[in-house]
Amino acid sequence: MTALDFQALAPHLTLTGGTLVVLLAVSFWRSRRTTLALTLLSLTAAFIALWPGLDAGPRAVTPLLMLDAYAAFFNGLFILIGAVTALLVHRYLQGRAGSQEEFHVLLLVATLGAMTLASAQHFAALLLGLEILSISLYAMVAYPEEDNPPLEAALKYLVLSGVGSTVMLFGMALIYHATGALGFAELAAFVATGDRADLWLTAGQVLFIIGIAFKLSLIPFHMWTPDVYQGAPAPVTGYLATVSKAAAFAVLLRFAVDARLLDLSGAGAVPVATLFAVIAVLSMVVGNVLALLQDSVKRLLAYSSIAHVGYLMIALLVLGVLPNEAMAVETALMFLAGYLAMTLAAFAVVSELSAAAVGERDRIAEYRGLFWRHPLLASVLTAALLSLAGIPLTAGFIAKFYLFAAGVEGALWGLLWAMIVGSAISIYYYLKIVFAMTVRGADAPAIPASFAGLATATVLGVVVLALGIYPTPLIELASDIAQGLRLTP
Amino acid sequence: MTAVSVPIEHVLVLAAALFAIGLVGVLVRRNVIFLLMSLEIMMNACGLAFIAAGARWAQADGQIMYMLILAVAAAEVAVGLGLVLQLQRRFNNLDIDAASELAG
Repeated sequence: MTALDFQALAPHLTLTGGTLVVLLAVSFWRSRRTTLALTLLSLTAAFIALWPGLDAGPRAVTPLLMLDAYAAFFNGLFILIGAVTALLVHRYLQGRAGSQEEFHVLLLVATLGAMTLASAQHFAALLLGLEILSISLYAMVAYPEEDNPPLEAALKYLVLSGVGSTVMLFGMALIYHATGALGFAELAAFVATGDRADLWLTAGQVLFIIGIAFKLSLIPFHMWTPDVYQGAPAPVTGYLATVSKAAAFAVLLRFAVDARLLDLSGAGAVPVATLFAVIAVLSMVVGNVLALLQDSVKRLLAYSSIAHVGYLMIALLVLGVLPNEAMAVETALMFLAGYLAMTLAAFAVVSELSAAAVGERDRIAEYRGLFWRHPLLASVLTAALLSLAGIPLTAGFIAKFYLFAAGVEGALWGLLWAMIVGSAISIYYYLKIVFAMTVRGADAPAIPASFAGLATATVLGVVVLALGIYPTPLIELASDIAQGLRLTP
Repeated sequence: MTAVSVPIEHVLVLAAALFAIGLVGVLVRRNVIFLLMSLEIMMNACGLAFIAAGARWAQADGQIMYMLILAVAAAEVAVGLGLVLQLQRRFNNLDIDAASELAG
C-alpha cells in the first residue's frame, strides 16, 4: 500500500478512527451530549476527508476496493444520513430506559459497512461490507431495552437477513466454482470469453440474485420488511430504508456494470434481466397494493420502499438493452438521491413524534389533526409524502422522471406500465395520511418538539423541495460521476 | 495432492445438501437456538463450497473466503445469542413465536 492508497481510503480510515474515539469515550465517560458531539465530529471529519480521497483519483486499493467518484457520492450520502440518524436518535432515546451511548458506536460501524459496500469491487469486500452493515443493524434494531417489538423485529431481521446473506454467499461460491473469478473485473473477462452454459453457473447467479433481492427486500423476498420496519425504533427504520437499501443497490449496480451481470446467463438459461424484470414488476404492483391495506405508517412506508426499489430496477435493466452505462448510472444516482431525501424526511417526522413520553406514533389515526398541533412537522411530512407520490416540484418527481426517460430510451414498456400503475395506486395511500393530518378538532396530546429534531426535519423537507425545484447542481454532479465511472474494457 | 482425489462436484453436492438441511431447519424450527444453528450450518455449507471451488482453481482465495465467513458467522451468532438472552429474560421462553405482536 502506498501513501496514495491511504489517501484514497481517507474517508474510511477517518471514520474508523472516529469510531474508536467514540468507543473509548463511551467506556470512560458516559455523557449523551459528548457522545453525540463526538459522533457528529467523526462524521464531519469523514465527510471532509472525501475530498482528499477524491484527489487521489479513481484508484483501486487492493483488489477489493475501488475508490472513485461513484463511491464518494454514496459515501457522502451515507455520512449525511448517519449524521441525521444520530441527531434523531439522540431525541428518540431521551427518557427511554437503558444505556444510550453505545448506539452511536453501532451507527458509525454500520455507516462504515455501507461505505465499504459502495466501493466494493470483489466478492470478499461485498461480503464484509454487507455483514458489517447488517450485524450492526441487528443490534440497532433491538436497541430499546424495555420494548418488545424491537426485540421481535431484530430476531426476525437476524434470521431472514442471515438466510439472505447465506443464499447470496452460496451463489458467489458457485459462480467462483464455475468462473474462477472473485473480482468483478475478472468476472467480466470470463463473461467475454468463457463458457457460460454451466449448470453451476446458472444456479450460482440465480442464488446470488435471490440473495440481493432479500437485501433490497424485493417481492417475493420481502416478508421480513414490514415487520422489521414496524418493530424497529423509528430512526433506525429510517436508516434501514435509506442506507441499507442504497448500499445494497450501489454494489449491485457496480457489479452489473463491472462484471456484466446481465450478460452472465448462458444460452438456454433464463436471462438474468428477465429474472430482475419479473421481481421488479411484482415489487411495483404488489408493493403498492399491499401498502393500501396498512394502517401503520411505518408498514405503509415499508411497502412504499419496496415499490420504490422496484422502480429503481428500471435503471439497472436499462444496462441490458442499451450500450450506455453512463445513462443507467446517472439515472440511478438521481433516483437514489431523491429517494433517500424524501424517505429520510418522512422517517425524521415519525421519529420526532415518537418521543419517550408518548411511545411510537405509528397508527395513521394518531396523525389526525397533526397540522394543527405541529404545523412544521406536518408540512415536512406532507412534502415527503407528495414527493414519494411523485408530484411535480418535489425530488420524487425528478427521480421518477429520470427513470421514465431511461425506460423510454430502453423501450422497457412492461416495466414502465407497472411503474405508472404503481404510482397511480400510491397517490391514494400517501394522500390518505395527508388528509388525516388536516382533520380539525382531533384530540391528541401535543408534545414539545426538540430543536434538533425540528431543525433536522425542516432541513430535509427543504432538501426535498429544493431538489424538485432546482435540480441542476445534482444533475451535473450525477452526470459527471456517471461519465467518469470506470467501465470494463 | 494424493493420487485418489474426490471429484469437485461431489463436494459441491455435499455443500448443497448441507445448505438445504440448514434452510429446512430455519423454515421448520421455532426454537431460536436451533434457528441460529441452522443458519450456522448454511454458513458452513457456503464455506465448504468456497473451499471446493478454490481447490478447483488451485487458488487460496476460496480458503480466505472461508475464513472471512467464519468471522462473519461468529459475529452474527454473538449478536444472535444476545437477542436469545433478552428473549429468555422477557418471555421465559426460547420460542420465536413467543414474540409475535407485529402483524404478519
